[in-house]
Amino acid sequence: MSSTSVAERPASPRRTPIALYQPQPEVDLLRTRRLGRLLRWRWGRLAFQLPLLGLAALLVYDGLTGPQLASQNLATVITWVHYRGLVVLALLLVGNLFCMGCPFTLPRTLARRLSGRGRRWPKALRNKWLAIALLVLSLWAYEWLDLWASPVLTAWFIVAYFVAAFVLEALFAESPFCKYVCPLGTFNFVSSTVAPYQIVARDHDVCRTCAGKECVNGSAQALGCGTELFVPAMRSNLDCTLCLDCVRACPYDNVALARRPRLHEVYQDSYPRRWDVAFLFLVFAFAGVGNAFGMVPPVYALAAWLSSVLGTGNEALLLAIILGAIMVAMPVGLGLAAAWLSRRLVAGRGRGEPLRAVMARYAPAVLPLAFAVWFAHYTFHFLTGALTAVPVLQSFLLDHGIAWLGREPNWSLAALLPTDWITPLNIGVVVVGLMASLSALSRRGSRPAQMPWMVLFVLVALAAVVIFTLPMEMRGLQG
Amino acid sequence: MRLSPLPSPAATRRRSLLTLLILVLVLSSATACQRGSAQPEAADQAPDVAMTFAVSPDPPAVGWSTAVVTLADAHGQPIEAARVRLRGDMNHPGMQPVLAEAADAGGGQYAAQLGWTMAGDWFVIVTAELPDGRQAVRRFDLRVRTP
Ligand code: SF4
Ligand code: SF4
Ligand SMILES: [Cu+2]
Repeated sequence: MSSTSVAERPASPRRTPIALYQPQPEVDLLRTRRLGRLLRWRWGRLAFQLPLLGLAALLVYDGLTGPQLASQNLATVITWVHYRGLVVLALLLVGNLFCMGCPFTLPRTLARRLSGRGRRWPKALRNKWLAIALLVLSLWAYEWLDLWASPVLTAWFIVAYFVAAFVLEALFAESPFCKYVCPLGTFNFVSSTVAPYQIVARDHDVCRTCAGKECVNGSAQALGCGTELFVPAMRSNLDCTLCLDCVRACPYDNVALARRPRLHEVYQDSYPRRWDVAFLFLVFAFAGVGNAFGMVPPVYALAAWLSSVLGTGNEALLLAIILGAIMVAMPVGLGLAAAWLSRRLVAGRGRGEPLRAVMARYAPAVLPLAFAVWFAHYTFHFLTGALTAVPVLQSFLLDHGIAWLGREPNWSLAALLPTDWITPLNIGVVVVGLMASLSALSRRGSRPAQMPWMVLFVLVALAAVVIFTLPMEMRGLQG
Repeated sequence: MRLSPLPSPAATRRRSLLTLLILVLVLSSATACQRGSAQPEAADQAPDVAMTFAVSPDPPAVGWSTAVVTLADAHGQPIEAARVRLRGDMNHPGMQPVLAEAADAGGGQYAAQLGWTMAGDWFVIVTAELPDGRQAVRRFDLRVRTP
């Protein structure tokens, strides 16, 4: 064993120039007394995954066998009201806790232990294009199948997740599912860019002299990072599942889950300058608006109009056109236009800059606003309906002859807050998101070049505010 | 610590597929034995009874509506002295249902006030306990508009 011990080194921030972009691990969740010990424990992740696995099994069971009424089935209530609300709350308060406890990776871990060295994920797919496509596709399928209204489809959706994670893991050497495929992971990765905690190296000098780089390579005893992140070089939460495999793999106990200023990575230039990453952020923002738009009256009017113009009642097609326009055409078209204008508006040398670089500089500033839109929508459902879990659970138990929670479900339980507070709250969230995005924008490039982006962000925020003030009708497109 | 030698990839893949197969079988058998309450209409014991449901205003808007349920037997004779309960749910999860017990208005008619909390798709399950001891259960779908 090496004699390098973190504790023996005097702390000196000046020694670590490489760490300028990584927040200092002053507050480290892994060093808190009880929680820290649990997280670093070899089976620590399992302690979070097993309860969630049990929950997933319960949801699948109720979805397949219980009442086929969305509001009375645990599968639909817990998945679409609680899961989504709690995920965005966790992202805001801590980080990507869902991926940390993700039950879908459990059978996957099994497959991985069995499969040893499989193929590598194809090179052509080692980027975010597939993840973008699958994110949009899953949001389209959600609307088309009215997943939120169907317990049995929601149950099969959960099952499909387990199967997909398992199959991909059995076939490939690394963990391509989380990084390149899973739409929930994509959502969590992008959202966790605004989270207040991040994996960092405690002492970069230790990493510099570390021979094995076990955090990414793994060792005989521990798996390395499944999404192939290298701890001392991490500038962002993007692609980090918080599995903490790196923590368990590092022979020097040199990994921290550090608190950081909330917008640390968005303020810095933390992302690879790639088209796919920039478009992922923009698509994520517009998809948040599009997903909320799917629940308000104008979408029905739009669909009816489109249907008469095209002479087709095919809902899948109508939805593909509407969502494709909002979630793909708009972010791509408006993003390119903003980047092109940005470049026109700078004087001199900047004009020769590749569009990709301009795009990569400004697009990440949209992240806080994008997250705010999703957060507002998902907390809307959570705040209006969190307590419906109580009567639904009561009636589930009563169906099985268990009266622990009383003999009569209390159907009057629903909202967590008075419902007329929720819309102002949502609008407040979007406004805060817009401010944060404008502030991130003001730290990039030159003032004139920021202008087109400022206009774009204000328009996105305005669209979100208008949608949140409309009544959420919550019905299927062609109902 | 040494790990035991890894099985061959082919063996692994076989095992994976086997596990998958078992999983799918278990799940589909679960689908086959749905619980009694799966569809509310399944609790209907009186298919011969004719039940109608009307709301005014029609279409209903957010706020209060009057719902009238009529019950008639196989010969078209009104059924009186039934106990009629209504439950309205949105098709989106996480919304509070509206519950009401209808008052006997005579002549096989039963009236209740329903307070719609939100615009959108609702369905109303009407459960009537008939004088002969049977239970009639029907489902009615409707769309509530923004006022
Ligand atoms: S294993 Fe990774 S985190 Fe640990 S010292 Fe080596 S490079 Fe740093
Ligand atoms: S850096 Fe990699 S190994 Fe570490 S917590 Fe994140 S995903 Fe897991
Ligand atoms: Cu919604």
